[in-house]
Amino acid sequence: MKPKSDFINLSSAVGLGLIGFNEKNIVVDYGCIFFDSFVYASRLCKKVVGIIPSSERLNTLQKRLVEEDVKNCDLVNANYNEQHFNEVFDCVIINSFLEQLIIEIKRDKTIFFDSKIRDKKRYSGPEKIRIGFFKTICKGLRPGGTLYLSYANKLRIRTLLLFIKLAIKSFFTAISLKEAPSFISLLNAIYLFSYYLLSQEGLEKLLRTNGFVDIEKYAVFPDLKYPLKIIPLSKLDEFSFEPVQYLYRGRCFRRICAGARRRIDIIIFNKLKLFSLSPSFIITARKAS
Amino acid sequence: MLYELITSNTHNNNTALYKCYNANKVFYRKAAFSHWGNKVIENENKGYEWFYKDSEYLAEIRFMKKYFYELEIPEFNGRKFPSESVISGNEESIEKIIAFYKDRWSTENDFTVHGDMALCNFIIDKNNIKLVDWEHFHYSDKEFFGYDIINMLFIFIYHESKRTFSLNKRNRDFLKKCYIQLAEGVANSNKILEKPFQNAKDYLLTFKDRFLVNTNIYNKFVLAGSPLSVLEHFDSIVTK
Repeated sequence: MKPKSDFINLSSAVGLGLIGFNEKNIVVDYGCIFFDSFVYASRLCKKVVGIIPSSERLNTLQKRLVEEDVKNCDLVNANYNEQHFNEVFDCVIINSFLEQLIIEIKRDKTIFFDSKIRDKKRYSGPEKIRIGFFKTICKGLRPGGTLYLSYANKLRIRTLLLFIKLAIKSFFTAISLKEAPSFISLLNAIYLFSYYLLSQEGLEKLLRTNGFVDIEKYAVFPDLKYPLKIIPLSKLDEFSFEPVQYLYRGRCFRRICAGARRRIDIIIFNKLKLFSLSPSFIITARKAS
Repeated sequence: MLYELITSNTHNNNTALYKCYNANKVFYRKAAFSHWGNKVIENENKGYEWFYKDSEYLAEIRFMKKYFYELEIPEFNGRKFPSESVISGNEESIEKIIAFYKDRWSTENDFTVHGDMALCNFIIDKNNIKLVDWEHFHYSDKEFFGYDIINMLFIFIYHESKRTFSLNKRNRDFLKKCYIQLAEGVANSNKILEKPFQNAKDYLLTFKDRFLVNTNIYNKFVLAGSPLSVLEHFDSIVTK
């Protein structure tokens, strides 16, 4: 009889299907946020290295790997910048681990939101916009190796939550000076949001200056945890967007919400083609040979 | 290479379907994400091998046995149909499909069932009819000839009536015409066509393991979950 683990469904790792692993590949997963993805990569590749800064997550992943009898892996409990690997990787996976990058971006917003910068002279050369995280990645990747980067569209959610919060408040209370901070934070969110939309190109530029080519960007629906639809943004003219079926069984209210969400998706993505508002993104790129 | 994820884990089949854009061609890749998914892909490959055995397309269908199995399928040219296609406006295509089914399925020594025959799985052009999505393919007895077409007609009823199972006279007459076309010349020993919709449901529930479904069969096939009264009603419409 086959062990139970042989029948575990790793469908949540469908995003990694964009890579096309082979049995000779050595892969590194920064953060190991999605365990299914780690296991999936281990099944198809020669070896997977996982870098997990959190000891708690490391222990949980170790247990899972024992359960699933995964042996072709190394787990490293450290930050990305503390590692000096002897190996050169064929693929780097960064699943929802952009927070690390965001910490670095926070130090100098102009690096990421470069398309908003009026004074281009502030850059003395491409070296200026190299970020430690990408430097480390690029160093460990073999020429021609693949980068797989996925991240949630968090500013979208933040703005939406602020809108809802404000709408509820204004419904129940009269507008007064007390709401002023809310209005300011809303305006701030809209401002950040406009930056964010403009920064979509910024991230690509960041990858290019770090030596990546063939950069492809994908919109992911409904989320990164269980992607049901992944659309290449460079092929938008070749198909019409069909929203994913949100499966909310049981309660009537939930079904109504799912239907409403589907209709909103049709308006935003099919009619208005605002794919910058996609819930999540995946970027694949290749290190220049 | 550029990919588009078309479907993932539909009805818990543990597989995903990608559309792949290469420099000079477009094709589909179906990949497994578990050992159950491997079974599904392997079975689907058997279906393609059976259907395209005398066709030039067989060389373009690639089955790869890695840890998780993969199947590459070419993009077939021709008219494609949406998943919720209705009878109205598709009458000509439906008649063409029934004629094709009678021609292809009645001449085979080994009788097979596609298992999920629906208009959206056909690609039709002037000279050819291609059929995709062979996940539920299996060998069966010739006495069950007609199952796939009856299942397809029931899917049409479901979508045409917007799940109310109420059809206008024009559509009812067309259903009857389809049934007559299908039943013409079929042996009396056939176990489907006497009470087509009821018998098709019986076949589905009796041999559900053959369909390789990894979810509740009532959720997967509308025919399986339909009440007896509805099936009796449509049986009487087509056989009267």
